[in-house]
Amino acid sequence: MNIKIQLSLFILLTSLFTANTWAETANTQAIQLAAAPASTTSQDDDFTDTGDDDIEISDPFQSFNRAIFKFNDAAYVHVLKPIARGYRAVVPQGGRESISNFFSNLLAPVRIVNSTIQLKGQDASNETFRFLINSTIGVFGLFDVAKNDFKINIKKEDFGQTLGHYGIGNGPYIVIPLLGPSTIRDGIGLLVDGTWLDPVAYLDETGEYLAVKFIDIETTISLDKDTYEAIKKDSLDPYIFLRDAYIQHRAGAVKK
Amino acid sequence: MKNYKSLYLLIFSLLLSISGVSTADNSPKSQLESSVNKILDILKQKDLDTASRRGKIREAINERFYFRAMSQQTLSRNWKKASPEQQNKFVSLFSKQLEQAYIGRLEAYTNEKIEFLRVKMKNAKRAVVYTKIITKTADIPINYKLALKNGQWLIYDVVIEEVSLISNYRSSYKDIIKKSGIDSLLSQMEKKLAENKTANAG
Repeated sequence: MNIKIQLSLFILLTSLFTANTWAETANTQAIQLAAAPASTTSQDDDFTDTGDDDIEISDPFQSFNRAIFKFNDAAYVHVLKPIARGYRAVVPQGGRESISNFFSNLLAPVRIVNSTIQLKGQDASNETFRFLINSTIGVFGLFDVAKNDFKINIKKEDFGQTLGHYGIGNGPYIVIPLLGPSTIRDGIGLLVDGTWLDPVAYLDETGEYLAVKFIDIETTISLDKDTYEAIKKDSLDPYIFLRDAYIQHRAGAVKK
Repeated sequence: MKNYKSLYLLIFSLLLSISGVSTADNSPKSQLESSVNKILDILKQKDLDTASRRGKIREAINERFYFRAMSQQTLSRNWKKASPEQQNKFVSLFSKQLEQAYIGRLEAYTNEKIEFLRVKMKNAKRAVVYTKIITKTADIPINYKLALKNGQWLIYDVVIEEVSLISNYRSSYKDIIKKSGIDSLLSQMEKKLAENKTANAG
């Protein structure tokens, strides 16, 4: 646990030095986003004007990132995915869905706290309600009763989104070993959420922590419909494709 | 009395048929919905052989996708720099690529429920239709951007979980064009399509 806190402090400190560049990126982004709606409307058959509103991505560590991307790809193809296939064969889908619900419910504190910091009162109370209902009637979160019977859907919030909500830009894009696409901002978000708000972090043994996270990741992969394989198959440069998808997806999540 | 009643009935049924026609044929949502359902139905017909199934799907997709607009958006500034031959070649390659990608993703979700939620009109000729794929563990929002052309609402972008397909392709192609030119992009696309073709066949 100590190592994690030290690490997050280190990154927070180094980030202070780069805060200026961030503010700049955040600014250009805001301008570009604000300018976006006007550009797509006018002409009838000319669609060449779109693209000016794309979010600019800072990727100064690209060659390093690509190396980690390659490593992650190999880990996924040769280790994580084959295990997920075996897992699929042994545990029926319904069981894996319940396990996925369980892990998702466990992260309710991350969503509640971050909704609260962003002053999204309705979301915070919805997530609290979901957590209480699913942990009790939903048997420790195995069943998403709140969604199925009360029609209250999950609303994901994390510390990266909180930082974004308060105007902090992505900073450089990074690829984290085994975790994949992220940015400096979202990486800090992961550390903050993962250190203080994720209940699994309070397990005493590192081995236990890793084992739980491993099951979590394998469950997610086992339920996924080969999204990564599809991206790899369809795109000429999966690294860029994933990078842009990640940045767009996060921008959308911050806005919500 | 009896006459009135039948008159009312006639008027009522006329009104119904008029409103029925207008919503079925003209609204972006119903046009999109009928196309997506058509494609899903073809995907579910297991008795068809692969070749004729693909042919039918391709036809249904071509009815609804505005490939030229998608290509223009993807190349954006580079579109105007390209020669008409390059433009046409790009449109043809890119449509095949999008077809493959779209069919592949739709195939994975054939058994899930798709909900067509609402329409947002951006102006008289542009609309967004919000849809959602409902899976057990998560809902996947998919928004279709549509443009009106000759009475048909045609898809010019698909936004999945906030990620625009077009802008995604745009940035990677921009990179490739910048590094090695548009002809190199075209040949890379050709190579990729051929690769996938053999992979699908094998």
